[in-house]
Amino acid sequence: MSEMLADTDPGDAVVLESVPDDDVRARLLRLGFLDGAVECRHRLRKGPIVLRRNGTELALGADLAREIEVTSGESKR
Amino acid sequence: MSCHDHGSVDIESDETIALVGCPNVGKSVVFNALAERYVDVSNYPGTTVDVTEAAFEGAKLTDTPGVYGVSSFDEEERITRDIVLDADLAINVVDATRLDRDLFLTLQLLDMGIPTVVALNMMDEADADGTDVDVEALESALGVPVVPTVAIDGTGIDRLRERLPEATAPESTPIERWFADLPEDIDATRAEQTLLVEEDEQTAARVTDGEIVADGGALTFVETGQREDVYTHRRRRVEDVVADAVARRDRDSSWAERLSDYMLNPLTGTPIALAALAAIYYLIGDLVAQRLVDFMEVTVFGTYYNPAVELFVSGLLPNADWAKPVEFVLLNDNLGLLTITVQYLVGVLLPLVVAFYLVISVMEDAGVLPRLAVLTDRGLNRIGLNGRAIVPMIVGVGCVTMAVITTRMVGSRRERLISTALLGLAIPCSAQLGIIMGLLAGLGVIWWFGYVGVLLAVFGVAGLFLDRALPGESTALVTELPRLRIPRPGNILRKTYNRTKMFLREAIPLFAVTALVISVLDYVGGLGLLERGLTPVTALIGLPQEFGRVLVLGLIRRDFAAAGMTDLALGPAEMFVGLVVITLFVPCILSMTMILKERDAKSALAMWLGSWVVAFGVGGLLAVIL
Repeated sequence: MSEMLADTDPGDAVVLESVPDDDVRARLLRLGFLDGAVECRHRLRKGPIVLRRNGTELALGADLAREIEVTSGESKR
Repeated sequence: MSCHDHGSVDIESDETIALVGCPNVGKSVVFNALAERYVDVSNYPGTTVDVTEAAFEGAKLTDTPGVYGVSSFDEEERITRDIVLDADLAINVVDATRLDRDLFLTLQLLDMGIPTVVALNMMDEADADGTDVDVEALESALGVPVVPTVAIDGTGIDRLRERLPEATAPESTPIERWFADLPEDIDATRAEQTLLVEEDEQTAARVTDGEIVADGGALTFVETGQREDVYTHRRRRVEDVVADAVARRDRDSSWAERLSDYMLNPLTGTPIALAALAAIYYLIGDLVAQRLVDFMEVTVFGTYYNPAVELFVSGLLPNADWAKPVEFVLLNDNLGLLTITVQYLVGVLLPLVVAFYLVISVMEDAGVLPRLAVLTDRGLNRIGLNGRAIVPMIVGVGCVTMAVITTRMVGSRRERLISTALLGLAIPCSAQLGIIMGLLAGLGVIWWFGYVGVLLAVFGVAGLFLDRALPGESTALVTELPRLRIPRPGNILRKTYNRTKMFLREAIPLFAVTALVISVLDYVGGLGLLERGLTPVTALIGLPQEFGRVLVLGLIRRDFAAAGMTDLALGPAEMFVGLVVITLFVPCILSMTMILKERDAKSALAMWLGSWVVAFGVGGLLAVIL
């Protein structure tokens, strides 16, 4: 059962499974954010979510986070 | 599209070197360390993106906008793509702490067959960051020269220069497996073939003159989804290279990471942001826009420059009938070409431009802008903007003219229109705000809250309206958060200098022409006519006919209108209505010229007329209520 990126809590490691928007998917892919587990660093209430992978931090708007499906990645803690 | 004609740059050279890299990797620092002479900043033709060029060992060195890959996702990427396609070789600057991110672009350049040298920059930060890069392993994995550098203190730059002739690209790369699928008769370079198999529509249009592109822009000879296969395959190769060449040590989180965490948490981030805004307002809005500009206008220009010029020019002109209009155009007190126009440009605009570019450069260099965008994204989403639009709004309270330029960074054309319209309509600039605050203070604090409330309401309603009325949808925030760092003075001064120079080069002719037109109009009595023509609208908002004079002044400069209000004998309610109207009323001539330059004539006219309608609509409504 997959959940949405918007529901991920800070500290969780998740794998981005499906990104509906073609361009956003290609951009995430280029940056390596679809290669494996990414860490959720921050989530602002009804606002953007900040992800981190290998030191690179990326902010995604709430509308995007609501349509990206994730599964739980191995915990990094 | 001509890709050799880069604005006013006239470095004659057959060989071009493109400096390519992701944003914030120190590309422009490397550029300045390499550049020998004649650094020139210009807009890339047909765009609003700055491109810097310089001479380098008989070749032309071009600094491209920072991108994560060569493609067409935004204006920066399209420009970088065009420069790279025309370049003879590339210097690829990568951040040693972010190799996993940066090598995608490197491998893409190599797939394209662009002879490349890699500058492995920020080696000092990699060390502090606990990242060990094996330079030899990286060099053999990539098959091109890799030169470790710390560009900020010049380390490795000489070595980079020495090894530039060794620039190369591997004879063959795994991308070729996809080339077989391209039509045989296609006339495309290796670089173009690479972009074609990545579904780059504009490259397809370029190599086929649009013939092979089907309706809707889809490529007929490339399977949908192939870009993803190519990208995924390239990512695997990046991971392999990183596994070979990079080792990470454990380390504690740095001060920058902890500060970043505080900035992104609304509880601590909001006060930090407000404090920063207050500091910016103090610098631009008070120190520069009020004190320094006052000094320039009253003392430098009012006491010395203008009287001297007037004396000199009127002494030069003969006492003949034909000389009268000439003298008026050159010297009139509203917008004389040699007096007040120069005063606005040098005494008002120049200090504001420099202060503004200083502040923006500091914020850019420190990496705080994307974090501010994260904090404000949710609120701005409601009016069809995303978090990046916060920058023009902040700058606008300092100076709307300057803010119009920063709308370049807010994303799509739609978002630029919305943010520009809101700036022109509901954001009072500091020059005007100073006088308005003074007048409202005389009325009582309740009127001040009323004023702010009305403006916020208009801002919100206008934003909601534009979001619904304009076709399309706003783009979501997708932004990298660069590491926070202490701004480097050299970087900031260079950026400020280059940008100021470019701004003035564009603004001065525009403003001079506008001043000339207004002066001629004034001389033939057009302004007086306009003032009388305004009687019906001043009556509509219940103000005396003299308010027309205030409005005419407001067409030229907003603080003139505000200052004109002080001369009118008005009751509190009338004063309040008048102040709201002159705030919402059309942007000043400088802002309008800038809107015209940054947007198109149709949008500019719509915004100009729209602010008339909104100003008098809201004014009329308030007059009825109060």
